[in-house]
Amino acid sequence: MMEGSVGDRSGINESVIIKACFLAVKSHKSAVGYIKETGTDETVIFAFSGSWSVQDFYTSKPFGETKIDVSLFPSIKSIGNNELAMIYHGFFCRFQSVLQNPSFQNEKYTRSGNRPPCKCVTFGSPLVGDRIFTHALNRENWARFFLHFVGRHDIVPRITLAPFSSIRNEFHHILDFLNPNSRNFQKSSSLTSQDASAFFNKVLKNASSVASHDACNLMGSTNSLLEIISSFVELSPYRPSGTYIFCTGNGKMVHISNPNSVLQILFYSCQPDDESQVINTAKRSLCMDYINELNDSLLGMQDVVYLDDKMEIPLSSNGYDAASINTALTDLGLQKLENERMIDSNIPIIEKTQDLIAKYKQTCEDRRIGYYDAFKMQKDSEDFRENVRRLELAGKWDEIVEMLKRYELPDGFESRKDWIELGTKFRKLVEPLDIANYYRHSKDEDTGTYLRDGGRPKRYKFTQRWREHALRLKEGSSSETTFWAKVEQIRRKPFEETKEQIVALEKEVHEWVQKNELEKDVFLEKSTFAEWWKTLPERHRSESCLKGFNQKYLYNIQARLLDSSKNYQ
Amino acid sequence: MEAEASSFETSEMLARFLGSTPLLPESWNLCGRSNVMAPQSFLTDEVGGVTYVAFSGVQSVDGLDPFCGNLVPLAGVFPVDAGMFPALEDTVMVDAGLLHLFWTIFHTPVFQNQMFEIKKKQKPVVFTGHSIGGAIAALSSLWLLSYLQSISSPPTVICFTFGSPMIGNEPLSRAIQRQRWGGNFCHLVSKFDILPRLLFAPLAPITTHLHNLLKSWHLTMNSPFFFQDPGNQLGDHEKSELFHFVLGYVEATARSPGTNLSFVPFGNFMFCSSDGAVCVDDATAIVRMLYLTFASGSPSSCIDDHLEYESYVGKISLQFLNRTEEEICESNTRIGRTPNLNSANLAIGLSKITPFRAQIEWYKESCDQSDDQLGYYDSFKLRGASKRDFKVFMNRIKLGEFWNSVIDMLEKNQLPHDFHKRAKWVNASQFYKLLVEPLDIAEYYRSGEHRKKGHYMKQGRPRRYKIFDKWWREREAFRENDNDNNSVSISGSGSNNRRSKFASLTQDSCFWAKLEEAREWVEKVSSESDPRHVVALWASIEKFEQYARGLVDRKEVSIDVLAKNSSYTIWVEELRVLKLHSQHFSTQIPGILDRKVVP
Repeated sequence: MMEGSVGDRSGINESVIIKACFLAVKSHKSAVGYIKETGTDETVIFAFSGSWSVQDFYTSKPFGETKIDVSLFPSIKSIGNNELAMIYHGFFCRFQSVLQNPSFQNEKYTRSGNRPPCKCVTFGSPLVGDRIFTHALNRENWARFFLHFVGRHDIVPRITLAPFSSIRNEFHHILDFLNPNSRNFQKSSSLTSQDASAFFNKVLKNASSVASHDACNLMGSTNSLLEIISSFVELSPYRPSGTYIFCTGNGKMVHISNPNSVLQILFYSCQPDDESQVINTAKRSLCMDYINELNDSLLGMQDVVYLDDKMEIPLSSNGYDAASINTALTDLGLQKLENERMIDSNIPIIEKTQDLIAKYKQTCEDRRIGYYDAFKMQKDSEDFRENVRRLELAGKWDEIVEMLKRYELPDGFESRKDWIELGTKFRKLVEPLDIANYYRHSKDEDTGTYLRDGGRPKRYKFTQRWREHALRLKEGSSSETTFWAKVEQIRRKPFEETKEQIVALEKEVHEWVQKNELEKDVFLEKSTFAEWWKTLPERHRSESCLKGFNQKYLYNIQARLLDSSKNYQ
Repeated sequence: MEAEASSFETSEMLARFLGSTPLLPESWNLCGRSNVMAPQSFLTDEVGGVTYVAFSGVQSVDGLDPFCGNLVPLAGVFPVDAGMFPALEDTVMVDAGLLHLFWTIFHTPVFQNQMFEIKKKQKPVVFTGHSIGGAIAALSSLWLLSYLQSISSPPTVICFTFGSPMIGNEPLSRAIQRQRWGGNFCHLVSKFDILPRLLFAPLAPITTHLHNLLKSWHLTMNSPFFFQDPGNQLGDHEKSELFHFVLGYVEATARSPGTNLSFVPFGNFMFCSSDGAVCVDDATAIVRMLYLTFASGSPSSCIDDHLEYESYVGKISLQFLNRTEEEICESNTRIGRTPNLNSANLAIGLSKITPFRAQIEWYKESCDQSDDQLGYYDSFKLRGASKRDFKVFMNRIKLGEFWNSVIDMLEKNQLPHDFHKRAKWVNASQFYKLLVEPLDIAEYYRSGEHRKKGHYMKQGRPRRYKIFDKWWREREAFRENDNDNNSVSISGSGSNNRRSKFASLTQDSCFWAKLEEAREWVEKVSSESDPRHVVALWASIEKFEQYARGLVDRKEVSIDVLAKNSSYTIWVEELRVLKLHSQHFSTQIPGILDRKVVP
């Protein structure tokens, strides 16, 4: 087991954490919503104040969620599925008001080049984002920059698991009680124990729903009762993300970074020992003093249990058996790794099949016919064989897409370099065959063009997005593999109607050729493209940016053919 | 079996999830009220956008036995799709007494109005009931689920029963499983309650005891606050007789599973005790649990526990306050990874059999281009002993086996619950059906099965195709055709564009079977002497002719249908000759050929 202090693990010095906690509490009195101070080791700390108005919490929907603004957070989405994360609308509004604050905009620390990445330490923060949010943080490998301290009984980190409608009656009393700026702050006379325990019960019950629902799904329950009950109740979309440190209240800490385990422990650790303890636990759930707690547990000898080590850890104290919950859930997390292992085992066969298709492409070119056109004609049994290969590959890639759609692969899968490369190769090589097949069977007449919404198979959309995200390219900029579909679409219409599209396509082709993204087969004499282009009016062709290409490419290919025939001799 | 083990482990977590929702307390609340306020009837209520319908557990105040333990067929009662309920015709049976109770309530105008509202509102519905009310709730749910089958985006229906007797036999249980309705039923059964186990035993020997028992239960249920009426209770000796009599039969059933039981549980059973609850949906496990928990009871607890649901529901919904992490952790330690893994393995299986399918496609194309111009249906039907034909024959069988195994796994709950809604599988099954079913039809008529069993459409169509029809019908508008790795299109039914050329595959996979019947009609019509039969035959022929012409006009048939020597082309020609021929008789049978209404 890897030992180490919280500071060593997180890369944030303990004294900085305590200072940050102190500033976080202090910031509640700030007028502009944040304060800034320099910590012991030159670390600059920004502390953002909390809020105690109901409006800042709940807006319209039962859970007050909104789609994240991708212009501010371009990576907080899933890549292939292209689903945007949902975040808490009320908190986002608070963030925006700080962001627009002129004094904050003048902070030179907000964005700078070579500093180590910023880190985020929270103390009793409510959940902010949904599962896509968590997925994106994991994929970008940013989860390690977020460190959340949560008191074992602190109710606030659990609040957003309950719909507003369920806690409407008590919520503003609770907020008033928690508000350091209120005269009722932590005054037991201001909050009845009925209100406190009613609030506690409702939040906990909803936390139980979310935790047990997710656990059922993780365990792969096939019982359709689960699905049917789910359609009767609305579950909170919010899920934990980043690394959590639970403070147990007796100087001990539990450190967990598996978000599924965190969710379960958020619920289980807050449960009272038995029904008679409800009122006591409810009271404790509203009085969490992070400064004291962290002073006790962070300074001096630390007593931390790291649950990330996938090991059975005997936890003798207070019957708080988070360890076994975690072991169980890590096991469940292994399902994703298992899926990944299975998908990875396909790599050699995918590579082999793709190589065979590449060989087919080469043979076609040697016969001076583009493989797109050869495949579209399906004259020889060889073409048929390639069709079987195309189907085999499609099956393998579709399986990956299906798993991604349901988030059944590890969060980092879509940023794995080997798969992005393999996917790009696959797309470049095989998508033309899919298009050829599509137009060979006139599918455009059945269901519309290949490029319409939903016409292009997801296996190509996904792999294209992977590449674009990895290389930080503009969305859609790597669509050269749909070239043939564009040609097929345009050539079915009269020149006059499509003139602008033609010019645009020619421009794209020009660019792709420059970048070496389009291959020579496109320009072979008998190719669908060349044949069609020759039918365009002379005037247009003579002004086109592709004017010189046809000749040049033909020449190159002839030269290469000559080369290869020399080798044979 | 791994799959069974894993589904058992999620049972507590599922019970915990259900317990954290307001569904059980709300259901029970209305059940309790209906017991007191609506004997022999039901109450409805709406809470949080959900309609609750609770049937009173007091259905016969005079103590008359409400159920008789005799099974009667359910056929014809419910508007079900006969094709999807192959077992329904005569083997699905329910208790005659319970069916009668349901029927009495069903025909009241109040109930009809409520159902009309529910169907109109399209909001989720909960049917519920305590004791015998639970059985009526289950029958109502079954009725509504059958009705909703014909509706797009139907409202969700769920049924919670509290201590309900069983209602039907094994074919009913199987039919519910095949329809994937198991999740729509959740029967709460307390540890010792005798009523849910009662129908394992024959009722005749204990009629008197039961009579008294029901009477005393009803009096208690019907009084507010469940006051027990001391006067009407069974004596200790009678209780003991009753308990041991029923226990004997429950034990016998549990010890020899699979024997011909008259009553069989279906759906989910939620077993509750003061320690917690579990949800189980495997019928064998349910019977075992019914026995084991009951055996630990006593003559008095088996009667009192029937009236304890109030406290069980309270405990279940408060269970989140009790830390029982051991139980949770234990159940968590073993992992239920099978469903997704099964699904992934099937995907591999699918990619393995894809070449077989591609070969059949290739075969079709070569038949379509062949000189004999038969088309692939007739080529296959008239095939000789060539190696190629044999290969196609084998491929057809391998594909059929694969798809049968998929359905089998789905019905045994070994696959993810939404498996049959996943685009990949719906598309692949549809494509398989369009390509291969014509060959199955050809084989059926080639081997003369139709003379032994009757026509393909009625008797010969494999169940898998009917199921795929259903998947295709119910597919969520996947606007995306995308995971379609089929090399021939599956047309979206709503495509407005007219086809400029014939479809790659005939869009009605039963076209050839319908043609075979039409061939028979044409054969018969010339030899038939009874004019009424002739009229009927001509009507059928004309109907098929119109249908076929429609398909051809819309280019929804594949080119093989129109091949020069295909059965269809020959049939059209025969019909033409027949019509010419019969014009001589048209004076005798007016109105047939020029489609006037025949009186």
